[in-house]
Amino acid sequence: METATIIKAVAALILLPAFGAILNGVDRKLTARIQGRQGPPLLQPVYDVLKLFGKEAILVNRNQIVYAFMHLGFIAVACTMLVLGQDMLMAIFVLAFGGIALILGALSVRSPYSRIGAHREIMQMLSYEPILLMLAVGIFLLTGSFLAGDITHHGRPLLLSLPLIFIAFMPVAAIKLRKSPFDFSTSHHGHQEIVKGLTLEFAGPYLGMIEIAHWYESSLIFIVFAAFWATNWFVGLLIACVGYFGEILADNLMARLTWRWMLVHMWTVGLGLAVTNLIWLYWK
Amino acid sequence: MLNASFMLLLFGPMLLGALALFAPGGKSRNMLVVINAAVLAISAGILVASRHEAALPELPHWLAVVGEWGIIAAVLFIAKQTRRPAIIGLGIVQACLAIGGEFFSEPSGSVPPAFIVDTLSLLMVLIVSFVGSLITVYAIGYMERHEHHGPDSQAGHGRFFFFLIGFLGAMNGLVLANDLRWLSIFWEITTVCSYMLIGHDNTSDSRISAERAFLINLAGGTALMIGQTIFLQAGNHAALSAMVTGRAFLPVAFLLFAAITKAALFPFQSWLLGAMVAPTPVSALLHSSTMVKAGVYLVLRLTPGLIGTKLATIVAIIGAFAFMTANLIAIGQSNGKKILAYSTIANLGLIVACAAINSPLAYAAAIMLLFFHAVAKALLFICMGTIEQAIGSRDIEDQSGLAHKMPLTTLALIIGMGSMLLPPFGVLIAKWLAMEASVNLPLVMLLVVGGNACAVVVWCKWLGRVMTHSSHPQYDIERLPLSMSLPQLVFSMMTLTSALGAIPAFTRVAEPLAARVFHLVPQSEGDIRLLGMVKDFMTWPLLSLLMIIGIGVYLTTRAFDTRHFRKPFLCGENIEGSRLSYEFRGPMEVKTLAMTRGYYLRGTLGEEKLTDLVNPIALALLITMFGVIGG
Amino acid sequence: MLGCLDRSPWMVHFNCNSCNGCDIEVLACLTPLYDVERFGVLHVGNPKHADILLVTGSVNHRNAPVLRNVYDQMPEPRLVVALGACGATGGIFSTGYNVLGGIDKVIPVDVWVPGCPPRPEAIIDGVLQAVTIWKERGKNFANGAAPRWQVTRVPTVAPTASTPSEDNKQGVPAQEVTGK
Repeated sequence: METATIIKAVAALILLPAFGAILNGVDRKLTARIQGRQGPPLLQPVYDVLKLFGKEAILVNRNQIVYAFMHLGFIAVACTMLVLGQDMLMAIFVLAFGGIALILGALSVRSPYSRIGAHREIMQMLSYEPILLMLAVGIFLLTGSFLAGDITHHGRPLLLSLPLIFIAFMPVAAIKLRKSPFDFSTSHHGHQEIVKGLTLEFAGPYLGMIEIAHWYESSLIFIVFAAFWATNWFVGLLIACVGYFGEILADNLMARLTWRWMLVHMWTVGLGLAVTNLIWLYWK
Repeated sequence: MLNASFMLLLFGPMLLGALALFAPGGKSRNMLVVINAAVLAISAGILVASRHEAALPELPHWLAVVGEWGIIAAVLFIAKQTRRPAIIGLGIVQACLAIGGEFFSEPSGSVPPAFIVDTLSLLMVLIVSFVGSLITVYAIGYMERHEHHGPDSQAGHGRFFFFLIGFLGAMNGLVLANDLRWLSIFWEITTVCSYMLIGHDNTSDSRISAERAFLINLAGGTALMIGQTIFLQAGNHAALSAMVTGRAFLPVAFLLFAAITKAALFPFQSWLLGAMVAPTPVSALLHSSTMVKAGVYLVLRLTPGLIGTKLATIVAIIGAFAFMTANLIAIGQSNGKKILAYSTIANLGLIVACAAINSPLAYAAAIMLLFFHAVAKALLFICMGTIEQAIGSRDIEDQSGLAHKMPLTTLALIIGMGSMLLPPFGVLIAKWLAMEASVNLPLVMLLVVGGNACAVVVWCKWLGRVMTHSSHPQYDIERLPLSMSLPQLVFSMMTLTSALGAIPAFTRVAEPLAARVFHLVPQSEGDIRLLGMVKDFMTWPLLSLLMIIGIGVYLTTRAFDTRHFRKPFLCGENIEGSRLSYEFRGPMEVKTLAMTRGYYLRGTLGEEKLTDLVNPIALALLITMFGVIGG
Repeated sequence: MLGCLDRSPWMVHFNCNSCNGCDIEVLACLTPLYDVERFGVLHVGNPKHADILLVTGSVNHRNAPVLRNVYDQMPEPRLVVALGACGATGGIFSTGYNVLGGIDKVIPVDVWVPGCPPRPEAIIDGVLQAVTIWKERGKNFANGAAPRWQVTRVPTVAPTASTPSEDNKQGVPAQEVTGK
C-alpha cells in the first residue's frame, strides 16, 4: 500500500464531506430562493452539525452508538473506495451496509415512528439497489472492468452509451438525497414526515454523525452525475450541476408519493429502462 | 490408514446407528452419537491429511448388488405403505431399470475406480463429518426436550437416531462415489432417511410432507437411474468421470434433473418447505447443510463437462431463477423456518448458477458459497430450534426482546444472519464474485442482482426484530444442555473465523480447484485482474471496516450515564414509571402498547399467488433444458 | 461547537390547548414573508432534535404530563418560549374549570411573548432573544454546571373522577351531571 494511496484516501475522507456540506448549503439557499425566501447562510449545514455535537448525547438504548458509527464509517469507506477507483460492486455493497446499519439502529428502539421509517427505508433500498448495480454492469460492458478508475478507458463519455440508465438514475438520486417525491423514511426538508422517521431517536452528536454521512452521500451523487461525462471534467461538472439542480427543482415541485408507488414504478419503469439500455449494449 | 478411514466414513455411522437403534437407554444412545461424531471427525481428518488425490478401495460387487436390491426393496415397501399410485409406479420403474441394468455387458477399456477422493469430495466430506456430526450432537439435547406424538418415545428416539446417523454414512458414500451404481444406491438411501425423519412426529402434517418429499426425491432418483441406463446402453463405463469427459448430454441432463429435485429448486421446492414440519435437527442436517447439498454437489461435478454448451446456460438460468424467486417469496414470510428454507433454496440456486456460468471465477465462488453457506445455515437452524423451544413460536415477530431472554443464542443468531449479509464473510464474497462473473449471461445477472436486493430485505427485517433492545441492562443468560450449546458455540466460532479465512480459502482452495477443473478454458484478462483484486481485498478497506466496528463497539460498551437515557418518542404520552417504554396513554386514558409489525407485502408477494405464477415458468425452463440437448 | 449555538437554533412547536391563533402565527413565521429560516431556525417535528420548545395555549390536567414529557425529551441545552396570553397566564381560558394556568406551572419558561395572538415579528423577536439566553446556558452546560432553572410545582398526573375545581379559586361549584 503506497503512501500516495494513503494520502489520497485521507484527502478523500476529509474533502468529500466538506464538499457535501457546501452542496447542502447551496441546496437550502436555492430551495429558499425558489420559494421566494431569503434562506439560511451558505455554511448553515456546518453550523447545524457543530451545534449538534455540542448538545447532550441522549439515547434510547446504547446500541445506537455502534449503529451510528457503522453508518458513518461504512458510507465514508464506500465513497472513498469509489473516488479512489476501486471495485464498484464492492463499493455499492459497502454503501448498502451503511444504509443497513442505520436501518438496524432505527429498528433497535421500540418507537413506532422509527420502525415505520426503518421499514420504509428498507423498501427504498429495495427500489434503488438493482438500478445502481445495473449502472455498474453498464459501465463494465463499456469499459470491460468493474474498477471505477477505468471509466475513461474506452474514450467515450458514459452518457452517450447509457442515456436510459441516466434517466433511471434520477429517481435513485432523489431517494438517496431524501428529496421529494421519495422522501418517506426521513425527509431532507420535510421534518415532520412520520416525525423524522428513521432518525427520530438519534439526537445530539449521533444525529450529527448521520448528517455527516448524508454529506458523503450528497458528494457521491454529485460525483456519479459528473462521471457520466468523465472524459471532459468541465462538461461533467456541468452535467452534475444540472442534475443536482434538477433534483432540487423536483423536490420543490412534487408532492410526496407513497412507498408502494415508488416500489412498483422503480421495479417496472426504472429497471425496464436500465435493462433496455443493457440489452442495447449487449447487442452492439 | 486411508482404507480404514474410508471404511469408517461410510460404514461406521451405519453400524453405530444400528447400535443406537437397539441401545437399551437414552444415555447409551447419546454416547453412541458422540462416539460417531468423534469417529467421523477423525476419519475425515485423516482423509484430508492424506492430501493427494487417490483412488479408494473397491467395495465387493456382491455388496453393490445387495445394496441396490436392498434399497429398491425398502422403496417398494414404503411405496406400498403410502398407497399412492405415483410412488408405487416410480418404485416399479426403478426395479425394472435395475433388472435391465444387469443385462448390459461390461464395456471394454479400463474400469474407472468406484470411489475417488479429490478436493471437491474432500470439502463435502468435511461438511458432512464436521458440520453434520455436530448437528447430530445437538439433536441429543433437542430431542430430549422435543415432544412428539409418536407411540413409544424410546423406540421413536432410537429409530430417529438410527436414520440420522446412518444418513451421514450414506452422504459420505455419495460424495466419494464415482461409480454411478453406488451413487444411486446412496442417493436412494438418503431419500429413504429423509422420508423416515420428516415423518418422525407422526402427525398428519408430517405424513403428508414426508410423502411429498419421498415422491419428488424418488422421481429424482428414477431420473438418475434412467440417465445411468442410457449411458450404459451407449457402451460406456457407468462412472461420473466418464460422463464428464464423454460429452454425453442426454444422460447428463437426466442427472441434472435428479440434482434439481434434490436441491429443491423451482418447481420442486414444495417438498423442502413441507419438510420444515420435521424436528429442527432434521431441518438443519438434511434440509440445509448436507442432503440438499448433494444435489448441488452433483451439478458441480457435471458442469465442467458442459463448458460452452447451451445446456449449461439453461442450468445457470434455472439456478438464478430459483435464487431470485425464493428470495422474493421469502419477503412475504414471517415463519422463521420457512424463511430459512426459502433462503436455502435461494443459495442452492446461486451455487448451481455459479457452477454453470462456466467461468473459473464463478466456479470458485460456487465452492466458497457451498462451504460457508453450509456452516451458516446449520448455525441459523440450530438457533431457530433453540428459540422455538424456548418461546414456543416460529414467528419472527415474536422474537423481539430475545436479546434479554436468551442473549447467547441471540448472539449466535445475529452472527449467523450477519454472515449471510456482510463483508468480509464468505457468503458475501461469493455473491460478489457471482455478480462479477455473470456479466456475460445477462438474464442470470439480472436475476442475481434482483435476488440479492430481496435477500437484504428479508435479513434486515429479521435482524431488526431480533436486535431490539431496551435500555435496562438485565440479561438472563439461558441454561442449555452442553449438547445444544456446544454446537452453537462451535458454529459461531467457525462463522467468525471464516470472516478472516474467506480470502485465504479463496486463494488456496477454491481458486486452484477451479483452475484445475477449467484448465482448458483460458482465463480472460478481466478475470485475472479480478483475482488480483480479491487477494488485495484484505488490505485497507477491510481493516478500516473492522476498525470502525471495533471503535463503535468499544464506545457502546463503555459506561454510560443513565441520566442520558430517554424513552421513545410517543408524542408525550409515555406513561411515567411503566415497565415498558412503549406504553402510552391512549384515548379514554387506556394504557396501550405502540406495536408495529414488519412489512410483508402479502398482497403482491403472497406465497400461493407467487408460487402459482413461478412454477409454470420453472417447469418451462426445465423442459427447455431437455430441449437444447440437440443443439 | 459553542460558537455555533446561536446560528442554528432548531425549534419544536407544541400546542397545549390553544385556539390555534398563535399556531397560525407561528406557521406564518415559516412563510416567505417572514422567513425565520434565514436565522438558521428550523421547525423540526420532535423534541429530541430541538433546542427551543415553542408552546402555545395553556396547561390543563390532560396536557400537563404530556408537556412535561415533551420537555424532558429535549437534550440540554434547551429553552422554552411561551407564546401568547394563554401561555403566560391561561389567557381567555384561565377561569375554565380544567385549566391550571400558564406554561410555567409545569416547565421552566425563559421567554414570554405576549399577545393574543402575537404578531410574527414579535414571535421571531422572542425566539432570537431566547437564543442569546441559550448561548449563555450552552456555556454553562459545556462547563458541566447544572441547568439554572428548577421546576417548583408539578401538578397531579392522575385524572380525578369528578371535574377538578380545587385549583379554581373563583368559587363556582362543580355540577354533577346525572344521567337518566
